[in-house]
Amino acid sequence: MMPQISSYLSKNRNLIPVMATALLALAAYGVGAYFFVGMRNPQVFFNLFRNSSFYLISGIGMTFVILTGGIDLSVSGVVALTTVASAALLRAGWDAWVVILLMLTMGMTLGAIMGSFIVYLKVQPFIATLAGMWFTRGLCFFISDNAINIDNRIFQIIGKTKILIPGMTELAIQQGKPAPYVSIPVVVGFLLLIVAVYIAHYTRFGRTVYAIGGNEGRNEQSARLMGLPVNRTKLLVYTFNGFCSALAGLSFCLFVSSGHGLYAPGLELEVIASVVIGGTMLTGGSGYVFGTLFGVMVLAVTQALIQFIGSLSSWWTKIVIGVLMLIFIGVQTILANQKSERQGAQTAQVKMAVRRKRQRLVFGLAAVLILGIVAVVTVSRLRPLVSETEIASAQCEVKPFREDEAASMIKNGAVIVYNRTAGPLCVDELFGIYPDGRVLGNNNVTNVEKQVPAEDVSQLLAAISTDYRWFSDDIYSTYHNPCRQCFAHNILISYEGHEKAVTGVDGGTNMPPGYGLILASIRPLLPEVNPAP
Amino acid sequence: MRKATKAAFTLRKVTESRLFFPLVALLGILLFDFIFIPGFFNIENRDGNLHGSLIDIFRNGSIVMILAIGMTMVIATGGVDLSVGATMAIAASVAGILMNPSALRNEVFFVTDPNYTFQPLWVVIMAALLVAILCGLWNGVLVAYMRIQPMVATLILMISGRGIAQLITNGLRVQITYKPYAFLGQGWFVLPFSLYIVAFVFAITWLITRKTAIGMFIESVGINFKSSFFSGIDEKKIKLMVYTFCGLCAGIAGLVASSNVKTSDANNIGLTTELDAILAVVIGGTAMAGGRFSLLASMIGALVMQAITQSMYAMGVPAFALQAIKAVVVLLVILLYSDQVRGFVRRVSVSKKEA
Repeated sequence: MMPQISSYLSKNRNLIPVMATALLALAAYGVGAYFFVGMRNPQVFFNLFRNSSFYLISGIGMTFVILTGGIDLSVSGVVALTTVASAALLRAGWDAWVVILLMLTMGMTLGAIMGSFIVYLKVQPFIATLAGMWFTRGLCFFISDNAINIDNRIFQIIGKTKILIPGMTELAIQQGKPAPYVSIPVVVGFLLLIVAVYIAHYTRFGRTVYAIGGNEGRNEQSARLMGLPVNRTKLLVYTFNGFCSALAGLSFCLFVSSGHGLYAPGLELEVIASVVIGGTMLTGGSGYVFGTLFGVMVLAVTQALIQFIGSLSSWWTKIVIGVLMLIFIGVQTILANQKSERQGAQTAQVKMAVRRKRQRLVFGLAAVLILGIVAVVTVSRLRPLVSETEIASAQCEVKPFREDEAASMIKNGAVIVYNRTAGPLCVDELFGIYPDGRVLGNNNVTNVEKQVPAEDVSQLLAAISTDYRWFSDDIYSTYHNPCRQCFAHNILISYEGHEKAVTGVDGGTNMPPGYGLILASIRPLLPEVNPAP
Repeated sequence: MRKATKAAFTLRKVTESRLFFPLVALLGILLFDFIFIPGFFNIENRDGNLHGSLIDIFRNGSIVMILAIGMTMVIATGGVDLSVGATMAIAASVAGILMNPSALRNEVFFVTDPNYTFQPLWVVIMAALLVAILCGLWNGVLVAYMRIQPMVATLILMISGRGIAQLITNGLRVQITYKPYAFLGQGWFVLPFSLYIVAFVFAITWLITRKTAIGMFIESVGINFKSSFFSGIDEKKIKLMVYTFCGLCAGIAGLVASSNVKTSDANNIGLTTELDAILAVVIGGTAMAGGRFSLLASMIGALVMQAITQSMYAMGVPAFALQAIKAVVVLLVILLYSDQVRGFVRRVSVSKKEA
């Protein structure tokens, strides 16, 4: 068995990176499932696909582009434009199917425009698609500055339909668990993958794509001399990638059910990374479309693991992706170098030279690594040591709002009572603003006082009640557990016989906009309270 | 007859000069500003310091100008460095954390004293630049010794670099209140201080590349690294040096950028600046395939980019929508360089010569 495997592998060296990626994805998931019971739930496995369907769709298009030796940086821009444009059109009452068709056409048109720049005007792919990214991102803000909600019925149906996994449903019901499912974008992604694999490996177009890429553009020249339709193929590849970007944009749109111009920042980098991790050479000409599926899975498992571990911050995802890319590109490079070595007949001297070169390489890399470690250690030495008590203070308990005290301040004549808790230091500050301009505050330890003009207070009150409509339904409480750096606010206002208290937390997305403005207008009146020792 | 030939010859020499197209682009944009934006060329004298839109182009363009110096070298060897933005963020994070270590305790606003710094300024700057040089060295080793394609090799640091920067600052924006540091990006000495930094880096680089053989070595590696190797140039060392230098330039740019906004924000410092820098070099006429380069032309390219931005701001275009217009203008400028247009210009100058 073993010799068979090894002979198969040595015959198909190109498959090694793809297999390594697939094994890595499975192994990472296995390790996660071993340590975290939650990850053993089959739904968690299928969520990997649900959360990354747009990576898969866009990665398929990107694989073709990279196979021709090009690159497309416009993906995230086209995705954002698709979300905004479809949200705006749906808000204007367009039919959902028309919008979907229109978006796909738009993506293809954008791809074709960029492709013709690259093919006919000989602009570098890098620059043409970069301009495409800026153009599409900018266009988003001509359509709308704010996020637009999507409440179209057909979009919601497409986004929320659960597709049960055949064979898993009975098993889950036997165990008394909800049946695992995937969403429609996942199915679309897999259908696209099948079509793409067919196109890449079983059609003339696919063979031309492989023929164009690789060897630093020299293969393109050869392909041209062989009479292959290089220009048409490249144009089609960029058009296809535009289509994939728009499709990914639609599935992103279903995923977040809204549209905004700042969505999906840096998506193209993650897509390129997953294509590379999937075993496709960035020089082009070598790789497999289905490898991209495993590349996307590696990324998704990494993110899931970081979520499950919990104590690791989100930026570790980026570092892990970088390390994985390094390993995979290193493996590819070594394989490519071995290939070129095998092709040339070598004398003993050349072999010695190669060995010496390798030794030097290893020493050089080790030196850089050691320097890096020294730098990190020095920087961490230059940092002050963080003592235990300070860490404890940073992870302190969020104190409840002092509502009784606030009510008694109102009784004593205060018009605005503002209570601020949590934040990075877990403050607990209570301020009362009186009609004569006195502002009293305390943080349970020290008392502070400040005098502001009385007109300021009356103007503020008028603004709050009329401009921001404090006592209407526009302003409502949105308290939830604050994040580690966020403050929680409770504002109690008594004005012309009305009395209303409203809570809110920084960083929440559901806070009414007026509330934030009121907070901003109250802040300048408040005195500084020194943090409790 | 002879006089006419000489005039045509100079015209041809001018149109084929490397500075011709970038200068035409810059002058075109400035002409547009002159016609459509009143007061664009006004320069005020406030306390002996010069202020105005024209000065702002230089001041805001200084970061891209510094990056473009390093990037020109890299592109001249036929490579590209996508990681300069991430390197900027790393350098800024190191500098920020050494001046205001409060972020390590999860406190955002801890230091307010303008004279407080945890380490002296020279330690801060040296440490940040050292880390930036290490980043460049890393890219150089990958490209030169492991023979990884430059775009791929630097993509690794581009993606993971921001993660590393966030790791250094504990994921927080570090407030920089230390006054002397703020002088790097915000100081004025008749002209903005950052311009003197640009001039210094430019002068040193120009001396090294044009008064020694190194510039020629770089060009030769870019044109054909194999024949350079056979003619005795150690192409690997040249590549290593070039990427390390690019890292150093990115470090300087990171310091200026962070002092400009008084914050080291690992997520946003240098975001997409690598693209601006590459475009500046391309507008300057250095071919992405490598070969001959001109530092001055890259500087003008950076100014073209900034002039577009500045005039759009002056016309009141919102910052986000600006990108769309910038994309169109950049494409137009790049098309100016296409063989078709170049061929047209050449034909015009040749026909004049014949007449």
